[in-house]
Amino acid sequence: MLERLQAMKDQALADLTNKDDIVALEAWRVMYLGKKGELSTALRSMGSLSQEERPVVGQVVNEIRAVLEQTFETKRSQVLQKAANEEERRNQLDITLPGRTPFLGAEHPLQKVIRRIEDIFLGFGFTIEEGPHVETDYFNFEALNLPKDHPARDMQDTFYIHSELLLRTHTSPMQARTLLARQPELPVRIIVPGRVYRRDDDDATHSHEFTQMEGLVVDHGISMSDLKGVLLTFAKELFGEHQQIRLRPSFFPFTEPSAEMDVRCIYCGGDGCSTCKHTGWIEILGCGMVHPHVLTMGGYHEEGITGFAFGMGMERIAMLLYGITDIRQFYMNDLRLLDQFTQIAR
Amino acid sequence: MKITWNWLGEYVDLAGLTPEKVATDLTNAGIPVEWMQPLSGQVKDVVIGKVLTVEAHPNADRLRVCKVDVAKGDPLTIVCGAKNVAPDQNVPVAIDGAILPGGKIKRSKLRGVESQGMICSAGELGLDARLLPKEQTQGIFVLPQDAPVGESIVSYLSLDDMVMELELTPNRSDCLSLRGVAYEVAALYGRSIHMPDAVVKESSLAEKLPLSVEIATEHCSLYTAQVVSNLKLSASPLWMQMRLLAVGTRPINNLVDITNYVMYEWGQPLHAFDYDAISEHKIVVRQAHTTETVMTLDGEVREVSSSAILIADPQKALGLAGVMGGRNSEVTEYTRAVVIESAVFDPVSTRQVARQLALRSEASLRFEKGIDEDITLQALARAAQLMETFAQGNIASNSIAKSTKIVEQRQVKQIAVFVKHIQSLLGYAISQSEMLEVCKRLGFTVRVVSDEEFHVFVPSRRQDITIEADMAEEFARLVGYDRIPVSVMRGQLTAGVLKPAQHLKRTLRNFLLDRGLHEVWTYSLTAPKVLANVLIDEGHPATKMGMLLNPLSEDRVGLRTIVLPSLLEVAAYNSNRGQKNIRIFEFATIFLPNQIPMLDQPVEAPHITGLLSGQVESVGPHGETRLFDFYDVSGIVHALLTTSGIAQDQISLVRSKEPYYQTGQCAEIYSKNVLIGSFGKIKTTVTECYDLQESFYFDLDFFMMQKLIKSDLTVRELPKTPGAERDLALVVDRDLPVQQVVDAVKNSAGHELENVSVFDVYTGDKVGADKKSVALHLVFRADDRTLTDQEILAKVETVLNVVKDEFGAYLRF
Ligand SMILES: [Zn+2]
Repeated sequence: MLERLQAMKDQALADLTNKDDIVALEAWRVMYLGKKGELSTALRSMGSLSQEERPVVGQVVNEIRAVLEQTFETKRSQVLQKAANEEERRNQLDITLPGRTPFLGAEHPLQKVIRRIEDIFLGFGFTIEEGPHVETDYFNFEALNLPKDHPARDMQDTFYIHSELLLRTHTSPMQARTLLARQPELPVRIIVPGRVYRRDDDDATHSHEFTQMEGLVVDHGISMSDLKGVLLTFAKELFGEHQQIRLRPSFFPFTEPSAEMDVRCIYCGGDGCSTCKHTGWIEILGCGMVHPHVLTMGGYHEEGITGFAFGMGMERIAMLLYGITDIRQFYMNDLRLLDQFTQIAR
Repeated sequence: MKITWNWLGEYVDLAGLTPEKVATDLTNAGIPVEWMQPLSGQVKDVVIGKVLTVEAHPNADRLRVCKVDVAKGDPLTIVCGAKNVAPDQNVPVAIDGAILPGGKIKRSKLRGVESQGMICSAGELGLDARLLPKEQTQGIFVLPQDAPVGESIVSYLSLDDMVMELELTPNRSDCLSLRGVAYEVAALYGRSIHMPDAVVKESSLAEKLPLSVEIATEHCSLYTAQVVSNLKLSASPLWMQMRLLAVGTRPINNLVDITNYVMYEWGQPLHAFDYDAISEHKIVVRQAHTTETVMTLDGEVREVSSSAILIADPQKALGLAGVMGGRNSEVTEYTRAVVIESAVFDPVSTRQVARQLALRSEASLRFEKGIDEDITLQALARAAQLMETFAQGNIASNSIAKSTKIVEQRQVKQIAVFVKHIQSLLGYAISQSEMLEVCKRLGFTVRVVSDEEFHVFVPSRRQDITIEADMAEEFARLVGYDRIPVSVMRGQLTAGVLKPAQHLKRTLRNFLLDRGLHEVWTYSLTAPKVLANVLIDEGHPATKMGMLLNPLSEDRVGLRTIVLPSLLEVAAYNSNRGQKNIRIFEFATIFLPNQIPMLDQPVEAPHITGLLSGQVESVGPHGETRLFDFYDVSGIVHALLTTSGIAQDQISLVRSKEPYYQTGQCAEIYSKNVLIGSFGKIKTTVTECYDLQESFYFDLDFFMMQKLIKSDLTVRELPKTPGAERDLALVVDRDLPVQQVVDAVKNSAGHELENVSVFDVYTGDKVGADKKSVALHLVFRADDRTLTDQEILAKVETVLNVVKDEFGAYLRF
């Protein structure tokens, strides 16, 4: 009897070694440790044993059961672990495989520049005005101190609809329109982004349609130093904290005194390079103190009311900021260019 | 406007200054020096030589062997290829080791004969050959007989000079002369001006020739003239030719060159008439008669309008005042005497005539900008004197001056300047004494009224200065704009906020960018011919286009009335570059004239437009993607309207009849009978022309949208009772728009119907060929209680009866 039990134990342990899935293990457990399994059968057959043999065999059976159960548990947890590992491996994804990426839309570079500049001036307390593209000769020229046959009209080649109606050559007509609409209210603080038209042949630096941003401030006692203050803060905000500005005398019929504003070359920082023609400065905008005639025509007659105005080309600034070298690219809309503007850009 | 450094130095002391410094300072003072370069490239060791002999080259037909005396050692042997070389000529000779703009000259053998240098052409000396007379550019540069043999060509021709190009602003026409620039330099450095004093003494008159002048137009304020006789027409002195050349004017002969020279010197254009061509020795300045013609110097017969000012005699026109002289009074080699004209013509008339006839010249340019009447007589005297000196002429009349202005009108402009005004305009505490110092440097006289006020008397050369603010600029630019401090603008606080429409535009732009559409910008100017590309025929409202009077190219002749062609062009451009997925939008303005032709400002309507073509998602390793279809563009448009605060129940869709849309796959969006936009599939006949795949377009009228927007939002309370959901599959006719079924359900299910949505549409064998099954999801809810099954069943019953009556709909099982 004892030999038979010992042989069964050896057999059971040998059987267990090649069981490596949970179903075979369960079958093994039923076969050896189940209610109708071999150990139970052996226990039941103890009735035929003598009184002396019974405890001895009983103890042996219990010992064998303990060994088999322990070995089984060890084996079972190994198999479960292995299965779990396999499951885990099966569920592993190649995290480097591209995801389902939504298409990204890009804001047009000119719009990007406009929005940035708008935000800067909104922060200064300016509001945004927009005006008509088709303008009257009066608002495009006369109300800006450019009477008919004024030689300065030659500065701007104009597309006409008829002798009194034209495509605006600058955003400045909105200076005159805003003054007339708001007078005598003060202060006036506006910017005017918008498309303008010049009778120019298109090439790398000229476009018959382009984009300007006008600025106008009118209030009691506005001075040229205020103009400098606003423009310096603007330049620092747009081109960097260390920017400097320089004003040079210039001429616009609707400002007096007038100036061109330069900033430190953003490529060489002022050391001189081909972009800045080795001057260290880059021209950004035209500005000046609102001409008294413009204020008077706009309905502001009171002495002591002064103002400043400025105007800049959005294409020029976008070209400087993003290194675009041909103005026509803004209107060609090559997706290979626009795609580059899906990212955040200053 | 070009000037040269040495020429400028004749009128203002430049001692201790360099061209570089003056260029920088002029630029900073508002007279920008665009560029500066030496008159000629580097020239060294080129001397004046006299050709002694010219012999044939033993080995070459085209070459000659010359002996040239350079007043230093033995005559040189020089091999020369020019045809015009001849004995006794004075010529520029580059001796061994000489440097020319084109390189270094060394002695060398030419076909077996050693050449000890080179005889130079004008071009080889770096002179602008385009402006030189032909005889001086074909072959070697033949110098005058009195040229000193042995002298350096650089000093003889004044080649060591700097040319500066001034980029003048339109107001500074005073600097269209050496005199004006000299005044500016004098003001910068506090120096004085010395213009040549040319008063012709009456006693020098040898022979008197009669001349009278009559001004018969208000467009000539001053006319002065003088007769010079016994002239010898020849080349002008070389120094004068060189200066004219340097500033870009072709030397012609001594008389013409002198008028040009004085124009550059004083800014006063002059003209010389042949004295004998003037009938009755009388000059009449008058307006042209209608349909009068003048043959101008260039031989063209020009018909002028009555706005033109003519110089005439009692019988005929002699020239177009301020624009071009006439052929009949041209100075020729037979001219015995000339009348020099120095006058002031009306800027506007001159400008109009010069523009009409496309005859803009250095003279007309100056008349257009206004002439300083104070120097008109001086310029006349200067020209007469130069003709005496360089054309052996005799002054044959006193200077005659006629003016139409009364004396008071010619009074010096007087501007009252208040110290406080200037200080507060500039934001800079410039003192009265600093201002007076600037006036002194400018040569403006002043009268001090008090510590607070002074009067400035502006000389007539500075026509740009008329008001106090102009003086503020003079003060600022001459003390330096960099002296103006930086200050913070004061005053009432204003909120810098976007207006509602601007806010909405930004929101919608972001919406479209987030949907993966790229923003594009296209031109407003277009041509009617592109309308045919999108099948728009005559009669369509888009053909009512505002046209330009003076277009520049045939592709840009009018203002667009529709955005679609622009977007198709962008798509085609990109498709041609291999892009198959095109998702673009534009916030564009279209121009709708109130009448044709356009007389007043049109309606400028901002439109939100877009074009979708290609795949919905990027192609990846995760299975197939699909192409855009009608419902993608429909979905974008509906979401865009929702974002704008336009509720779905405010809008209705109607099939569009626009010619560019595919029939059956396009819609117009209406709200309260107002059209606010459209969307749909572009006809394949159109897209194929643009080499595009199936493309879907949307076009929303932003003005119309704005009118519908409701931006105030008050939230609905969240429900406290459970809702009851029911699904119904209704079989209806295939052509029945689903929206009608949905509307019928909404209208019949009672107010406790919270929502109804379409979740499936089935067509196929199971419902029959002309039918479709529409699966609806209904949600019922009462605010105060849970609805019972019986209640819901009753509502569904009602719904089913209504759709049965209206559409013959029945439940699908
Ligand atoms: Zn640079």
